[in-house]
Amino acid sequence: MFGREFYVDPSRCIGCQSCLKACEECDTHRGISMINFDFVDRRESIATAAYVCWHCDEPTCAQVCPADAIKKYDDGIVGSSLKPRCIGCSNCVLACPFGIPKLVPEYEQMMKCDMCYDRTSVGKKPMCATVCPSQALTYVTPETIAATRREKPVNTFWFGNQKITTKVYMMAPADAGEIAIDVADYTWEGENELVPQAF
Amino acid sequence: MSWFRKPSSTPLWRDEFPVHTADERYVNRRQFTKFLTLTSFGMLVGNVWILAKSALHRAPNYPRMPVAAADEIAVGGVKIFGYPTPGDPCILVRTGYDSYAAYSQKCTHLSCAVYYEKERSRLECPCHLGFFSITDGSVLQGPPQRALPRVALERQGGQLIAVRMEGESA
Amino acid sequence: MNADPPQNRGLTAIDGAMALIAILLIMQIWLLSATLESYLAGHPEAALPGAMISGILFAACLGLYRFVDRIDSEIRRG
Repeated sequence: MFGREFYVDPSRCIGCQSCLKACEECDTHRGISMINFDFVDRRESIATAAYVCWHCDEPTCAQVCPADAIKKYDDGIVGSSLKPRCIGCSNCVLACPFGIPKLVPEYEQMMKCDMCYDRTSVGKKPMCATVCPSQALTYVTPETIAATRREKPVNTFWFGNQKITTKVYMMAPADAGEIAIDVADYTWEGENELVPQAF
Repeated sequence: MSWFRKPSSTPLWRDEFPVHTADERYVNRRQFTKFLTLTSFGMLVGNVWILAKSALHRAPNYPRMPVAAADEIAVGGVKIFGYPTPGDPCILVRTGYDSYAAYSQKCTHLSCAVYYEKERSRLECPCHLGFFSITDGSVLQGPPQRALPRVALERQGGQLIAVRMEGESA
Repeated sequence: MNADPPQNRGLTAIDGAMALIAILLIMQIWLLSATLESYLAGHPEAALPGAMISGILFAACLGLYRFVDRIDSEIRRG
């Protein structure tokens, strides 16, 4: 919006959790952070990754919602659940390929990142992108990204045979065209004739 | 409803409950327009109903009914009676020594009972301040659109007889 | 921010059709009340022309609804 896009680079995340705290400050959901913060392998490493909603072009969460509570707006942002409609069924929590929506039991409502729509719709940056010190979460123009990063932005993901395109970009090594999130894509290292047997 | 709908790749529920707000705008407008068209049809039914009633209208047979003795009420006094049936309230007014007027008591606006206001010589409806002339029942002021139906009286000796109603559709 | 994305193209036409329908409805309401008043006052002559004109107004509303339906189906499923 206004020429800027959201880029996520988990390799830059230093685990400061500023994004969590900044997100929590928003008055519409004070105290509840919408950042999906991951300790990748806490036992072995201090690596962390912070994720926001990927705002898919065809949002799975919206398509499975039985209460028509999730809407996608004209500029591509997928909103959090509409308060009068959400029934807390967790369909979207289970359906999202990225695992973004969270059910908040106290409110019986799903809550997820809406890219600070009250800010981005008037040209401001989302809270997380504003405070991230390493700019692992960043909200800039594509030209700035091309000029300042070695990685390339990717917004196409494969989950098995399902292809998902998103509004938010993931920073990936320069040769990666699309990102496959299937575990099998990264673990199988045997010969080709054994591949069909894996399924 | 399949005959009504153009063939589409998406199921009906997915079209009617779209995920994109842009699509929702169309659905909302279309549904509201459908409701307005239904309202229009309802009013057409109303007009056709009036047409049917007017086509089936038969001139009613009014009974002859004695209402009061000529000297029963004082000048400027009133008597309430039921004509043509006991369920149709009417009001008889002695406007002068030898002149009488009788009308249906149901105000033509919303059927409140009108009363005779002697000082102003007119029939008044207290509900919404509709005023009717005592001479011919026409509307002087207020929301009523139609004149009060008049009860035609005949004098037979010392008796006042109601013979028919005038100015109503019955 | 795209102020008028392709999806919002037909909305102006639909808004115009809805405004027209509202005007027709107001006319129809007046016609119904006028016909009723004249019938109750003992003048049933107005009933037939009233019903015919009400029919024309309803036919116009129906035509406008079908127009709205066509625009909707063309833009969203066309």
